[in-house]
Amino acid sequence: MATPSSPTIDWSPQNWPRHLYRFFTSFKLATVVLALMTVVTLLGTLGQVDHGLHAAKEKYFHSFYFTDTIFGIPVLLPGGMLLMLILFVNMTLGALVKVRKRWKGAGLLISHFGMLMLLAGGFVTNQFSTDGYMALYPGMSSDRVESYREWQLEILPLSKEGVAEKAWIYPAEYLATMESDEQRVIHAESLPFDVVINGYSPNATPIPTSAPMAAGVTGKEIDGFKLSPQKTSKEAEQNVPGCFLEIRPRDGGPRDGGTPIEAILWAGSYRFDPREKPMPFTFTVGDQLYGALLVKKSWTVPFTVKLDEFIFERHPGVMTARNYESRVTRIEEGQTDKPLEIKMNEPMRHAGYTFFQESFGPNGAQPGDEMFTQFAVANNPSDQWPLYSLIVTGIGLSVHFLIMLVNFTTRSRKRFAPNPASA
Amino acid sequence: MTRPPVLSVTLPLVALLLASCGGEDSPGLIERPLSESEKNFRIVETSMDRFRYSSQPSAEAGEASGGAAAGLVYDTPQGWTEKPGSMMRDVNFTFGPNGEGECYVARLPGAGGGLAANVNRWRGQMAAAPLTEEEVAALPTRPLFGQPARFVSVDGSFSPGMGSDKAFPDYRLMGLILAGEAGAVFVKMTGPKALVEQNSAAFDQFVTSLTVNTN
Repeated sequence: MATPSSPTIDWSPQNWPRHLYRFFTSFKLATVVLALMTVVTLLGTLGQVDHGLHAAKEKYFHSFYFTDTIFGIPVLLPGGMLLMLILFVNMTLGALVKVRKRWKGAGLLISHFGMLMLLAGGFVTNQFSTDGYMALYPGMSSDRVESYREWQLEILPLSKEGVAEKAWIYPAEYLATMESDEQRVIHAESLPFDVVINGYSPNATPIPTSAPMAAGVTGKEIDGFKLSPQKTSKEAEQNVPGCFLEIRPRDGGPRDGGTPIEAILWAGSYRFDPREKPMPFTFTVGDQLYGALLVKKSWTVPFTVKLDEFIFERHPGVMTARNYESRVTRIEEGQTDKPLEIKMNEPMRHAGYTFFQESFGPNGAQPGDEMFTQFAVANNPSDQWPLYSLIVTGIGLSVHFLIMLVNFTTRSRKRFAPNPASA
Repeated sequence: MTRPPVLSVTLPLVALLLASCGGEDSPGLIERPLSESEKNFRIVETSMDRFRYSSQPSAEAGEASGGAAAGLVYDTPQGWTEKPGSMMRDVNFTFGPNGEGECYVARLPGAGGGLAANVNRWRGQMAAAPLTEEEVAALPTRPLFGQPARFVSVDGSFSPGMGSDKAFPDYRLMGLILAGEAGAVFVKMTGPKALVEQNSAAFDQFVTSLTVNTN
């Protein structure tokens, strides 16, 4: 039986752009991507139970691909980032570039533009937003926001009183990529030694070698302690990293037959309370005292916040908080100091930053104890884009429905118009 | 026919995609000035201080009916004798006619080795088979410092370890482990099975009375 001849496809290289264009503008691709996004959203939502919020977001939504086990079978799936990029390209080319421009389609064009704004907003949030916290006791002021989850290594030239004017930083984004069996030698021209990091663990506990549980911990013993790596917590902000540090002086160091200075660094030596002073590992090279410490990544905001009063009320007879709010003064160069209140659901928004009343401390504080307030500080250049995109999409759909209505009524009027011939 | 504007649209997108991937080159150390709120540090001499072990003062004998050691406040059950604490024991008791029963509180910064590892370390001391992560997660909980701590009760031949190879048959280990990421708390009672049984109410009374001294 003869089969109808199918049109042959020209796969010559000069036609590849055309094929690519057809592929990325196809409606089928959009359908497949939207279906996969549904699957990834479902897996990501369920994944929060096992992985916690942050890890689930990273695995399912901020990734290009991931593997998951579905009904006992390992499956490789595209991540949210890849799917959203493909959808963005598909909608840009298919719904804005390729589509025939005519008045009838104006509403759909606008609504697609709104959806593209939403995707672009997600990308901007992913790449450029920051979130951290600021903790203050009454009377304290700060312009510094600390990360919940990111830790960096700092080397500090210290005075005997424990004061440092500057620090040399090994950034959090590089420290976080270290594997437990990896060693990194870090060089700084202006320091008289090289810094070597190894055995980095994103969650660890130093255990005295005299403790029974130290028997099961492998790894080097330094100053009576071993570093015991722990399972990472579902809530990434609860992880307390640790690593081994080696200082190799360039003069009199290992290269000259000397011994390196070794230490275990543990992020628990940093502060848990805004009044605490961090406790670095100290060492001397030449005549200079230095400190080494894992600290939370931090950044400044363009104004200072001073806590004037922290109001904390408990339910009668129990320790549970009923209400807590902060009275602050915002201090900004060239501006008048502004007294403000930050309450639950009443954040302070200024200069692109939003200060939310988040929590309080210290843990276990009793009635009458002095307490500190903690603000969640968010900076997201696209935080209003979802609203704008919904407005644009809404306008687009309204225009589209209006056009459809006008067309329908026009057609109906024509159809039911009295025929002059039958009159 | 007009060529589709493929390159003009896709090139910026590809550039955006590549920019988002970022590089993995490890830099050297980056120098930066410290702001006023970052300049002050506490210089400590030992790792013991740096890792917060010595922030828990060593236990001293409390009063007859109420104790306050290592920043903790608690009721001492009747018939229990408080002993000096040690580096690993914040609060330490013995009980029984010959003091063969023991109960102590230990705290560690961090997760202290993890819940499952510690449950199985205790079970190992009683010559009992280790539990799986799921079985550990299914252990009953009891409140300790207002939080749900895992309750462990094992009968067997008790080998305390710590350099001793002696084993005590027909013993019972009863304890609570609260292993949060910020710190781990262990309350452990061991002794001859019948004696531990007699003192289980005293154990509950002691655990319920345990609070942090914030004064």
